[in-house]
Amino acid sequence: MSDSIDLLSIRPLLDTIGPYNEIPDEYNSKDALNALITSKILVIGAGGLGCEILKNLALTGFKDIHVIDMDTIDISNLNRQFLFGSKDVGKSKAEVAAKFVTQRLNDPNLHITPYFGKIQDKDIEYYKQFSVVVCGLDSVEARRWINATLVSISETSDIIPLIDGGTEGLRGQSRVILPTISSCYECSLDLISPRTTYPVCTIANTPRLPEHCIEWASVIRWPQVFPGQKFDADNPEDVEWMYTSALSRANAFGIDGVTKSLTLGVVKNIIPAIASTNAVIAASCCNEAFKLITNSNPILNNYMTYSGDDSIFTFTFELSKRKTCPVCGIVGISIMAQNWWSLQQFIDEITENKEVQIKQPSLTTGSTYLYLRNPPHLESITKPNLSKKLNTLIKPGDEILVTDPNLPMSLKLIVSFEGPENEPLQ
Amino acid sequence: MLIDKETKYDRQLRLWASTGQSKLENSHICLINATATGCEIIKNLVLPGIGAFTIIDDKKVTISDLSGNFFLTDSDIGKDLATAAKENLNEMNYEVKGYDIIKSIDSILNSEEDDDVSLWDTFNVVIVSDYCCQLDKLKQLLWNKKIPLLIVNTIGFYGSLNLISHETTVIETHQSNKLYDLRIDKPWHELAQLVENTDLDSFNDIDHAHVPSIVIHIKALNAWKRDHDNKPPKTRDERLDFKKHYITTLSRNINLEGNFIEALDSFHRALRPTEIPYSLQELFNNNQIFDENLNLSTPIFWIYIKALKNFVDQNDGLLPLPGSLPDMESDTESFISLKSIYREKAIQDQTLFYEEVIKMLRSLGRYDDEISKDSITTFCKNAQSLHVSYGSDKLYDSSLLQELLSPSPDQTLVNVYFSILAFNTFITEFGKSPSATNIEDFTKIFKNSFGIKEDALSSSLKETIQELLAHSSRSYHNLSSLMGGIASQEVLKLTTAQYIPLDNVFVFDGIHSSSNKWKINS
Repeated sequence: MSDSIDLLSIRPLLDTIGPYNEIPDEYNSKDALNALITSKILVIGAGGLGCEILKNLALTGFKDIHVIDMDTIDISNLNRQFLFGSKDVGKSKAEVAAKFVTQRLNDPNLHITPYFGKIQDKDIEYYKQFSVVVCGLDSVEARRWINATLVSISETSDIIPLIDGGTEGLRGQSRVILPTISSCYECSLDLISPRTTYPVCTIANTPRLPEHCIEWASVIRWPQVFPGQKFDADNPEDVEWMYTSALSRANAFGIDGVTKSLTLGVVKNIIPAIASTNAVIAASCCNEAFKLITNSNPILNNYMTYSGDDSIFTFTFELSKRKTCPVCGIVGISIMAQNWWSLQQFIDEITENKEVQIKQPSLTTGSTYLYLRNPPHLESITKPNLSKKLNTLIKPGDEILVTDPNLPMSLKLIVSFEGPENEPLQ
Repeated sequence: MLIDKETKYDRQLRLWASTGQSKLENSHICLINATATGCEIIKNLVLPGIGAFTIIDDKKVTISDLSGNFFLTDSDIGKDLATAAKENLNEMNYEVKGYDIIKSIDSILNSEEDDDVSLWDTFNVVIVSDYCCQLDKLKQLLWNKKIPLLIVNTIGFYGSLNLISHETTVIETHQSNKLYDLRIDKPWHELAQLVENTDLDSFNDIDHAHVPSIVIHIKALNAWKRDHDNKPPKTRDERLDFKKHYITTLSRNINLEGNFIEALDSFHRALRPTEIPYSLQELFNNNQIFDENLNLSTPIFWIYIKALKNFVDQNDGLLPLPGSLPDMESDTESFISLKSIYREKAIQDQTLFYEEVIKMLRSLGRYDDEISKDSITTFCKNAQSLHVSYGSDKLYDSSLLQELLSPSPDQTLVNVYFSILAFNTFITEFGKSPSATNIEDFTKIFKNSFGIKEDALSSSLKETIQELLAHSSRSYHNLSSLMGGIASQEVLKLTTAQYIPLDNVFVFDGIHSSSNKWKINS
């Protein structure tokens, strides 16, 4: 087979073995090249990182690339998502991105297969076909889902490495996850900084910052004026209403600084994003994918952070497995419950817990249902448990399994009790 | 469809605001060599809307240029490289002006035509990607003109970036560890008055639990000083005593009053003396603000520093108040009235500082319109965290060479840097890039270039050289894109004049996914 154009820059990396190669006795350049051009690789996300990842993979010899994204193109993407133009606004990111890269490279051997939809639409068999998955996502939920899925595949068949990138402003990180071998995404859930929240009593009674007024408009005023209707941040009328409501509250309290831009930032939880940071992180991820598939050089073990706001700084370290990881760990998470807690109070507590972070939990023990959200008849049977005291439902040391419809895994909690039987008065 | 700029650039305006954006849109950058890395740099600057870019390259597009470069297609083969790259890059954003110059850098530097001589003055930043035959000459020219130069190299899995800049000054550094300047130990008249008029005993329980912690701090510190010879708490015991007997005792129930709990948690604010940061004192001694050195062309940054020094001398050694307050447990009214006291003082200080700057400008025969009220406000808000660094026109200095020669376990990155420098020297001497078969000649050049007398190189250095020559592709796209991302981010920092740029060499090792940086001195 004669080399296609892209391989001119790649061949020198594979033809000669370097001194850092970890498997010098087994390495040969033919296998390396063959692995590169035959491997199926999946890219999740065709946004800021995804556009970069697709370009990088296509220019470094990958020939069978698949890409999933459920989003459509928005004007605010155009400052960094370079595969899209203003004519593409409203179209599928995955489809436009795949088409652009394919046309630009004009290589008959290159195939990029887009899927415009959710990662949850695809089953285990679909994911099993890939040699490696590269993620450029902005959602914690989607990352948890794909991580748990790949760990469960890797427990019974070949390991599918997950390479994950993320950026925020001038900072970012890339990591390589070898499911069941190295730490997984779930292991480091507590590293994710929680979204800024404001106490309800401040929002309701003593606003001081413009953000308090915007939260009031969004959390308190909106449901009163439009009961049962969901706020749509992409609808200009909804945004205008939110902005004017926040502004009038701010004016009433003499608070400065409510702008439309800040309103959008707060209600949409906007994270600043630029092309250069995405380029750095996506390139790091794809460099790892390239080394991994070709065996030409060692791969990142297993986490690199990048920061560009004060000079340039990177830090590389090995993040270790968490024993209590619900996805790849072996022991449950220990929770200390107060004797006076009801099941509801217990649920409120664990949804906030940094190691748990489950939004819609259903709880069972080995022998009984504690609380199930679905199906409806089991919900109605188990609902009365919510007001019962937890220590009447389970014994100290019992294990509780927690599941969430959005996550393909279950968490094991080991509960012990302390404190008085009745809630102490403050 | 009509594209609204504020919506299109929303995600970056949250980083550098409209002031940074307008500086970016008024910047013109120059790329020498339309390499894969060079095109990636331009891509990341065209997207956020830099004013203009110029690509200098006299080569034609060949099939090997296409490999690893997203901005050349097979239909470009045979065209001028600079033109083809410019057109493909410009497609992403037509608000950006793209220019090409089809000349060799050699011919431009040796030309005496006016256009070629004055060319460089149009650029805010110049970037050289990979090998440039006239690098020393170009470097000296730009150094003398005080135009920042970035040199980016990618070879195989390795990359390096030099930022060669006479002087870098930044007002909006965006330092996340910035401390609030609250003047708790030095309240001005209106603030002292407000605290004086806050009679805790007269409040009902609800109001008492909503007194802002700053007011509590000032009351507690005043009381402590009355009892202790007008001195603040210093030792650990004194600080504990301060918390226990001066903050806690003001509370009616320290377990319930959120504002007093907050005052205890943030007691360090009360004990932080108001003073001029050391880094700023150093700037006050900088010879650029000596009277005899100030003139028509003194950068406005140094006019500000001189005016700031005068301001401090005339205002009891205090800086202009930034005026920002942290959020704190409080009712709306108390917080807003406290905030307006800070704001009014900040505005007063800004006005005084503005007058000082105007006076300075006029005395130098300069005009008022060099500055605006907004730029004065920005400066006053950031006066505590300014950044100044002085670069070097050298590619290495004796201490970096020393690091190369005294082997340590963590040496790979310094090895990589010197090997990249030697790689380019090899091209000058042999007219081609070295490969794995040239290891002897390469080693000779390496030793000669850096004056290494020892016969044998360290084993770790040998390994690095071996790796570099084994995988010497200059357009491995992942490294091109990574170094392109990093270099473009430095250009963004330089052109928006926000965040702190590299000072001054960075090296990335894509094998071990690690990096290091050094400061080369003049």
